[in-house]
Amino acid sequence: MSSASQAVARCVNVSRIYEEDAVPVTALTNVDFELAQGEFVGLAGPSGSGKSTLLNLIGGLDRASQGEIAVDGVALQTLNETQLADLRLHKIGFVFQSYNLVPVLSAQENVEFILQLQGVHPTARRERALDALASLGIGTLAHRRPGELSSGQQQRVAIARSIVTNPVLLLADEPSANLDSATTEELLKLLRRLNDERGLSILTATHDPLVMGYAKRRVQLRDGAIVEDAAVSGA
Amino acid sequence: MLLKLLQLSIRNILRHRRRNGVMLAAIVVAVAAVVLMSSLIRGMQEDLAETAVASLLGHVKVLAPGYRDDPGIQRSFALAEDWASEVDEGAVAGWAARVRVPAVIMSERGTRGVQFVGVNPAQEGISFLGGAKIVGEFLRDGADGRILVGRALAEQLETKVGRRLVIITQGADGLSREAGFRIAGLYEAQGENLEKAFAFTGVDALQRLLGAPAFTELSIRLHEEPALAPMKERLAARLTDLDVLDWRELAPQAAAMFLFADAAIFIWFLIMMGALVFGLVNTLVTSVMERVRELGMLRALGMRPSSVVLQVVLEAGILMLMGVAVGVALAGAVIYWLADGIDLSLWAEGVETFGMSTVLRPVALAEDVLLIVAMSLALGVAASLYPAWRAVKVRLLEALGR
Repeated sequence: MSSASQAVARCVNVSRIYEEDAVPVTALTNVDFELAQGEFVGLAGPSGSGKSTLLNLIGGLDRASQGEIAVDGVALQTLNETQLADLRLHKIGFVFQSYNLVPVLSAQENVEFILQLQGVHPTARRERALDALASLGIGTLAHRRPGELSSGQQQRVAIARSIVTNPVLLLADEPSANLDSATTEELLKLLRRLNDERGLSILTATHDPLVMGYAKRRVQLRDGAIVEDAAVSGA
Repeated sequence: MLLKLLQLSIRNILRHRRRNGVMLAAIVVAVAAVVLMSSLIRGMQEDLAETAVASLLGHVKVLAPGYRDDPGIQRSFALAEDWASEVDEGAVAGWAARVRVPAVIMSERGTRGVQFVGVNPAQEGISFLGGAKIVGEFLRDGADGRILVGRALAEQLETKVGRRLVIITQGADGLSREAGFRIAGLYEAQGENLEKAFAFTGVDALQRLLGAPAFTELSIRLHEEPALAPMKERLAARLTDLDVLDWRELAPQAAAMFLFADAAIFIWFLIMMGALVFGLVNTLVTSVMERVRELGMLRALGMRPSSVVLQVVLEAGILMLMGVAVGVALAGAVIYWLADGIDLSLWAEGVETFGMSTVLRPVALAEDVLLIVAMSLALGVAASLYPAWRAVKVRLLEALGR
């Protein structure tokens, strides 16, 4: 584990309780978790164990019922919706299970869009978007729309979009769920390369043992609590 | 950023061509109908005013006190030669000083009550008489002692050009005057009401008959309606011992119809656009709900809630803008096609009762069109706020989970 000063994400005594038909359902219970700069952490556990919930809370997509969460030193519970949106925009990259690309925009425009939200100059954002796509081996597909790309290619575009802003943290929720084994392998090599070469901190929630095989630290959740947290030797 | 949102909005509109096409068509039809209807109402309004002003009223009329309650030569006034020197500032299109008295008109076969009017033909360019079609001859000048009657009145009296009519009226001394007038011509006016109501002779001839070298009315026509109020004020200041009245006071029914026309435009607008707004809201809500996941993803990536609202509002704004542009163009084409007017002669009796002519010409005012455009766009934006609000109110995780 790393020291507190190097933590990209930190959760202290975090709980999340949902109301379902007025019945409280506990998704996370008193979780303490820390992700250091440059780590590649895999969150594993059965369905309903709370891994996606933890990912969503760290990503500012949901709010904790209790406890404190900080990303890059910023306490999320103190932020309003607009400030949370800004934090996600500037500090976090997301890779979703179903890619979530804008269907009416081309691959390049999808990647550029997030830079546009950041107010990056048109020339610079075009250059950065094309670089990101090229670095993931899909530079030639820049002008295709999502509907014209394979699942693997769409996921690559989603990754390009998530890294083009140079985030401090990449969150990936079941990134391999819709991919075949070969494409998953390619994707994982890519994530690992980003982690190794750029020092990008990655937190991924997955059921897939293949994904966990590429993580440098494995965190096991069960019934909303962390039951195992171990670095992978030789990773 | 705005450009990107604009681009996204346009592509989203193109994404659902059929649905947005139907919505666009509805906007086009509604806007075109509102513009067209407002131009027809304005045409009716202008026609009402023109008919009222041309029917011997003028925009402003000067009368002796009490004349309206008891018209007669006893309530007349002398007009100084230089009366117009203080008011004629280019606003006046023309004026006519007349003598008008109630009279009985008789032919060999019939008797009717009429308004007998002494005119100077050279001044009557400001009234319907100046442009009326004449069968026979027009009066030569103010000294012409012949009579000009309406075609409908002549039919009632079973007389024709060249025959004599007898007029009985009251003189300045209160005694009856009776005189014979040869018919110089028959005039044709916009409606039979006018033709039956007025008979004309030279003003000097009538003054001689009545025994008073005075006038009962001074009618002034202006180039433009907006000059009316200041003109009325000036006249009232100059002619302090006389009543100065405008056409709205003298023809209150026409004035009421005139005002109603203003209200009718807005009522029509509210009905048409109100119905349209429901359709627009429905379309936008459907469009937004279909894209909850996509909009949620944009929010997850860092798009601010205000930008999401702006994107939905832009979509509605673009749809509305296109619809308004095409709708106004369509209305313009129809108005151009109807420029010669719509023939209402089949309902002549009805429209004349309302003081209108039998040809209705559309009049498109720039300020009306601008108002309709501005209000349509404002309504479009207002209609999009609810769907936009719904788009950002869906919980982010819920949106992403759809």
